[in-house]
Amino acid sequence: MRWVDVKASLKDFWFEFRRQKGGLFGLALLFLLIFTALAAPYITEPDIPKKWTQYWEGNPVTVPPVWYNYFTTKKLAPHEVLTANDLRITADGQDIGGGMKYYSFEFTYENNYDVPPSDIIIRNIGVKLADLTTPAQIVVTMIRPDGNKIELLNTELREGSIYQLAKDGKVKAAVFQWASQFENPETIAEGGETLKITMDTMKVIFAKAQEGILTNPEALKGTYTFQVEIFTFTEGDQVDLSTTQIILSGRTYGLMGTDYKARDLWAGLVWGTRVSLTVGVTVAVLTVLIGIFYGVTSAYLGGWKDEFMQRVNEFWASIPTLPILILLGAAFKGHVSLWTIVFLMVAFYWTGIAKVARSMALQIKEQTYVEAAIALGAGTGRIIFKHIMPQIMPYAFAAMALNVPGAVLTEASLSFLGLGDPTAVTWGQILYDAQIQSATINRYWWWVIPPGLAITLVAFTFVLIGISLDRVLNPRLKRL
Amino acid sequence: MGYGKYIAIRLLNALLVLALVTLLVSVLFTKVAEEDIKSSIHEQIGLYLRGNPELARALSQDPEKYHEWYQKEYERRLKAYGLDKPFMIRVLERTKDTLMLNFGNTKSPIFGETAVSKIISKAIPRTVILFTTAQIFVILIGLLLGVKAAQMAGSILDRGVSIVAMVTSSIPMWWFGMIMILIFSFKMGWFPSGGMTSTPPKEGFAYYLDVLYHMVLPVTTIVFVQFGGWAWTTRNIMIGTMQEDFIMAARAKGVPERKVIYGHALRASAPPIVTMTIFSLLGSIGGAIITESVFNWPGMGRLYWTALQQNETRLLMGVTFVTVALYLIAMIIADLAYGYLDPRVKVGASQST
Repeated sequence: MRWVDVKASLKDFWFEFRRQKGGLFGLALLFLLIFTALAAPYITEPDIPKKWTQYWEGNPVTVPPVWYNYFTTKKLAPHEVLTANDLRITADGQDIGGGMKYYSFEFTYENNYDVPPSDIIIRNIGVKLADLTTPAQIVVTMIRPDGNKIELLNTELREGSIYQLAKDGKVKAAVFQWASQFENPETIAEGGETLKITMDTMKVIFAKAQEGILTNPEALKGTYTFQVEIFTFTEGDQVDLSTTQIILSGRTYGLMGTDYKARDLWAGLVWGTRVSLTVGVTVAVLTVLIGIFYGVTSAYLGGWKDEFMQRVNEFWASIPTLPILILLGAAFKGHVSLWTIVFLMVAFYWTGIAKVARSMALQIKEQTYVEAAIALGAGTGRIIFKHIMPQIMPYAFAAMALNVPGAVLTEASLSFLGLGDPTAVTWGQILYDAQIQSATINRYWWWVIPPGLAITLVAFTFVLIGISLDRVLNPRLKRL
Repeated sequence: MGYGKYIAIRLLNALLVLALVTLLVSVLFTKVAEEDIKSSIHEQIGLYLRGNPELARALSQDPEKYHEWYQKEYERRLKAYGLDKPFMIRVLERTKDTLMLNFGNTKSPIFGETAVSKIISKAIPRTVILFTTAQIFVILIGLLLGVKAAQMAGSILDRGVSIVAMVTSSIPMWWFGMIMILIFSFKMGWFPSGGMTSTPPKEGFAYYLDVLYHMVLPVTTIVFVQFGGWAWTTRNIMIGTMQEDFIMAARAKGVPERKVIYGHALRASAPPIVTMTIFSLLGSIGGAIITESVFNWPGMGRLYWTALQQNETRLLMGVTFVTVALYLIAMIIADLAYGYLDPRVKVGASQST
């Protein structure tokens, strides 16, 4: 084929394809998907695949996305991380005599939510102790919008200390004592120790100081100020506040919420596009190429060779794919790579296409122009590649697109059964985790719905493109 | 080539596939089982020593003697498990056992049984009930919609069917099951989230009603995901048939339209539709099996899930073998049906294309 011919036929093709609304829509979706896959490191972070298998320290576990607030009457606090820039340092190493030094900083939190953060984590305070046996002291005080002051924490500060206020027993005791003054004494007497154990520390400190603060805390909106004071006792102790991080663990997180390992599901969704597209397209292209090669060869050879190749094909086609894939997946469990899965799928999927390609090639072979070419002394290669292949290629392109959805769904199914590549970020695997962690029972809809929608979207994109291609390239089917 | 010979070849092919698949399965799992047994032998010897403190004391004084004793004991137990035989012999034995439906026992009881063949024989009817019910709905709805769409080609219904078919064929069925559970059993609380009966199971007639109640969600899931594709296939085949000359002839001689469609066109479309049915059934088994496990339905799907999660290799071998066997049987039935409905069919299809 000359370049001019290619250009002309592409032009013709585009002229026809342009009229397929579904196809154009599919094409737009495809571009969007490819863009997402390519831009994944920029949309999220470049090291997501490495991080994916671990627990994401500092993030809240299984919380819905931030936009969930638009649909609920009770507003949930989002996840916030404060760094040194958000802190107001009021004392930085003030000498208060006796070798003691005083550091202090403040941060404020605007609580406009009905459900406050689930935890306040203070970490990465850059403290260097000259004498490890005499730790520094840390005092955390909270000043509420109603003027009340609570001393939440008064404890030792060592190198690498992390304070999780909601989980700290001392904080709980202090808060319970503070809140008891507002609560009905009878309730406290009745509730006793259970009341203290079941108390949600965070809800109480962000609650209105009124009766019921312990049993049914009602959020007090306004600006809360937290004051953190640090005392060091030994000469030579150093405190560097610039690395300090304050995490206000959200009741909501990011665009898609988090799962049981506190992973950002949005990142998983974006990166999953890569795997899904790569596996789907690779499987489809390889399957079709192998199938067509097999079918055309079989048709061209003819005679007993054709018969034999057809028997082999039928034999191979009658092996049920999924059970065997499951079995092989289980046999290689834990060591499966994406390419193994691709290879296995290709190994089982080429048969159908080989059959169609063969029957098409058989028809073409009987055409007079092929006969003429043979009579003119054309070689095997020339006939196959110049006369048979160009006729089959349109079918091949449509078949490629139509084969992607099956591959995408199979890959997702295998991952869902826990047989996927354990190191890859895939949608099937997110759903596998959801299933194992009983996400449906706990109504973690943000964990279940988006990955499945994404799988559906990819499959649907290729169905649209495939059907439109089929209509354009195989005009015989147009009447359908 | 005669019909008899055609069947014989298909049967032979199926048996060959089954034998080969079994062999492959056996090779994989003889290897896995060998490692399992070896580590369990070490454990057993340890336990045995702990149970006989006198022997342990006597042996601990002489490391060489201990080593000798351990080796002897290890080999004795290895032999008891039949691991002293060469690998290929064990593979062949396992293949033979599997073909005789002798799958061995699971490590822990499932459905109250440990014999794999018994577990599977309990699971099959449950899967069949669920699957058959769903398929009856799929076929009925699909056929009716497909014929209607073909009759009114280009109409809103026709376009609707096409769009629904395209969308639903892109949905992973098991995920849709999860969504159904999320909405209808946890959000609305209308239907149970899983299982086949309530616990404890009800008695008498109420038992059957209970099973039906538990079937609603899984059946709806399967039907929803499949009916569109079905209707679309039927439509395409029907439209092809409707353009044939004999339909025009029937219309020309004044046969009523209803009769043209259901009597002439549908009858002529039957062979491809029937084979499509069986093949789509076969194709959907995989998805349906996973869906089953989402709904905790105690059938084959649940067995797959349990086998994978609990590393029950023998169970996995058993279910794989049975699934492959069932699949092959269905294939033969499909072939027989096609051969019966369309006598032109011959082996190899080389003339019929």
